[in-house]
Parts: sequence; C-alpha cells; structure tokens
Amino acid sequence: MIPRPVPGRRVGIVDYLAGNLRSITNAFEFLGADVVRVHQPAEADHLTHLVLPGVGAFGFCAERLAKSGLMGAIENWAFDLQRPILGICVGMQLLADASEESPTVPGLGWIGGHVRLIPAVDGLVRVPHVGWNTVTFEASCGEYKAGDQADFYFDHSFAFVAPGRGITVASCEHAIRFSAIVRRDNIVAAQFHPEKSQACGIRFLRGFLAG
Amino acid sequence: MTTRLKKRLVPKLLIRHRRLGTVVRPVLVTTRDYDTSCDVGDPVSQAKIYEAQLADELVVLNIDGTSISEDEVMLGLIERLASETFMPLAVGGGVRSVDDFAHLLERGADKVSINTLALVRPDLITQAAERFGTQCVVVSIDYRVDALGYAVVHGDHARQATRWTALDWAVEVSRRGAGELLLTDACRDGAGRGLNCEVTRAVADAVRIPVIISGGCGLAEHFVEGFMRGHADAVAAGTFFAFRDQNPMQTRAHIQNAGIPIRMET
Repeated sequence: MIPRPVPGRRVGIVDYLAGNLRSITNAFEFLGADVVRVHQPAEADHLTHLVLPGVGAFGFCAERLAKSGLMGAIENWAFDLQRPILGICVGMQLLADASEESPTVPGLGWIGGHVRLIPAVDGLVRVPHVGWNTVTFEASCGEYKAGDQADFYFDHSFAFVAPGRGITVASCEHAIRFSAIVRRDNIVAAQFHPEKSQACGIRFLRGFLAG
Repeated sequence: MTTRLKKRLVPKLLIRHRRLGTVVRPVLVTTRDYDTSCDVGDPVSQAKIYEAQLADELVVLNIDGTSISEDEVMLGLIERLASETFMPLAVGGGVRSVDDFAHLLERGADKVSINTLALVRPDLITQAAERFGTQCVVVSIDYRVDALGYAVVHGDHARQATRWTALDWAVEVSRRGAGELLLTDACRDGAGRGLNCEVTRAVADAVRIPVIISGGCGLAEHFVEGFMRGHADAVAAGTFFAFRDQNPMQTRAHIQNAGIPIRMET
C-alpha cells in the first residue's frame, strides 16, 4: 500500500478512554500526519483535524465523553471554529439524538435522528454486523465520487439512519439501509472502521485530511 | 438484496513464546490436535504477507497459557500487529478478566476471544458485552466429537471435557451476549482433512450471531464447504495458510468461483 501522505497535518484524537486509539493513530501516521492524543482542552490548540473515536456501548461512551471535560473544547472546535472533525463507529453514533442501545443516555444531537438495533433475519442477516460490506457513495466524499462503491470493515449491532436531507453521504445495507458516512458541513462521521479497512480505509482518511 | 456483507477468510496466528539467547520472542507455530507441530517464524512479517494477500481479519491466539494482560511478549506483539497492518485483530488465549479486555483493546486489539474463562465465569460474557459492546466479545468453543457422536465442549486448550454440547453452549453464550463464535473441532486441528460442517451448521442455524468455522482446512474446497454446508460467515485456518502452496488470494478466487460473496480487491 502506498500512503501518498498529506503534508502539514496535525491530528488530535479525543482520548476519553473509549476506543482503539492505537490503530487510528497508526493510520494517520501512515498518511504522514503528526498525531496527538487529546486529554485536556488545551491540547486541541494547534491541531488541524480532530477525531472522535468510540468503541463500546453507546451509554458507556456518552457518559465517558460527558465526564471527560473535553466537550466544551470539542464543541468550540466543531461549531465556533468550524474545523474538520471525524467521528468513527460509536463516535459517529454519538452525534445522533439518542440510541436504542442506551435509551436513558442522550447523544450529542449534532446530527438529528436515532440509532437503532439492526434486526437479525433468520438465515440471511446476522447481528452484530461483522466484516466487509459494500458502501455506496451518494455524494462525493474526499477521493470517492457519487456512485462509487467500496468495501469497508464494519463491527457493530446498532446503526444510524440519518433522516436529514443530504446528510447521508454513503450508505450500506444489512437488513436495513443505514448511513455509512454522514456529513454536515465540517463534521464527518463513519460507521465503519477506516483504520481497519486496508487500502479503502486509508483512501477515505486521506480525503478527510485533505479537506 | 438484504445484505452485501462478504464471507471472510481469517488466518489464525497461534503464538508461542520462544527464548532466543536472552530474549523471549513470540513465534508463529502450527498445531495438530492442539500440540505444537512446527515453528513457522515471525508473526508480524507473516501478518503483513496475509494483509497483502487480502486476508479479511486476523485471529491471534496465545497458546502458552500465560495471563495475556501481564504478558509483555504478547502485548508487544499485538501492538506491532496493530501498528504494521490495517486490518481487524481478534486476540485471545489467557484472558482472565473483563479488565483484560481493556488492556488488549488499548494495545490495538479490536475484539477479544475468550474460551475457558467463559466456561468458568459465563457471567463475564454479559459484563464484557455491556462495557465493550457485543461486537467485541468473541467466544471460542473447542469441541471433540465423542464415540456417540456428541460434540462435547472442552476447556483448557481442548483438554478438559465439560457437560456442554457445542450447540447448547453456543446458544447459551449467544443468549449471554457473545457477539461472535469461533468454533473449532479440536480433533481436526491441523489435520487438513476438512472442516466439521455438520456441527457448525447446527450451531449456525441455531444462533443469530456470526460463526467462524475452524479446524481442518487442507484444500481450497474445504473453505467452500465451510460456507455452503457449514453455513459459516468466516473460515479460520492456521496450518493451511502457513504451509500449503496456497494463499488467501488464490483461495479467494476458488471461493468466488463457487458463487460465494467475497472481497476480491480493495
């Protein structure tokens, strides 16, 4: 795999103890970025891009994030400064209003809608949705154009169907059609794991870094 | 079309500790009926070869019985695998607690596989699923088919018989929150005579979580059988990929020709 690095990028990964930060770090370093873990609001200064990861139950991640002391800095980044931020997996789901996984814990509500359990279908669809599935781009995103299809690695049981017009940039199907990538202005989020999706994942991340 | 999820080919990296001079290093080995049969070499360089050959995921198992969260050799290996490949890692062997999940994820694992721990403390399956999500919890089930034809689950490196059949245990762990099953017929391990599709099919038809079939791949045709007859979502193989004149790329073409959805390019 040839990285084709994007020069001059300084990526911060929000470290709220919920996510495989190592793999994300490695993927961005592969693309030539400097990567720092953000534990304190001040560490978000001097960055060019911010990443919100998330592995685990929705409620666990949401509560950890709320207690991290970083929410003010993250909101400042995303809304006041309007700088690029990428949510990954549960880091994407957290942008919704709520999730069936943890109904009592609210999401951030940056992108309206609810995260729902994927319904298993006997003999056809197993849940969790684990493995490589085809993503169809409905709009251009980084190096992908509308109509492109590519395989990305998924590992989740709950999925976000973003209802807002133009919000879903790429979709995927597993019993239901759900949002694989959502975007609202400077906010981008993916349900799959780009850091685990080999060449396709690196290509997606390169697009994020270039923006 | 309901899903375009692909079937998976999963190289299984069995790891033992070997002392070379003063340094203890992780070494990739192959086994036959859970006895070490051969040292293959460096697990990281092998993993990079598998990645280049489009392996879909890696299973990494510590088979020395050490407590993995205190084992710097294993943790260092996971870290290197996560740094040098961009593919999903399921890690197991010597997981002793829910906190061990956190240690392994921190070092770069994506999923954690438990086997004997699940048999001894089935409540921990639920605890781990609540904290890390079901998709993170892989329960590995080793079984041996006895003289009466029962697939008897064995713990402790497939040495200790339990009162569970593979089917009953699979349903039980699935109910408790397991997100995926790694099902291995220990008698077929390393033999290359083919997978146990009968037991796997019974399990796969009874649960709604993904099932990985393992134990006995010797031909590309065996993978096709694992998907078609075993109803498995993924086939894991150790010896097959390490030694045969076959690699994931060639095997993949064979599987695609059988009409099974599989990833062909990135």
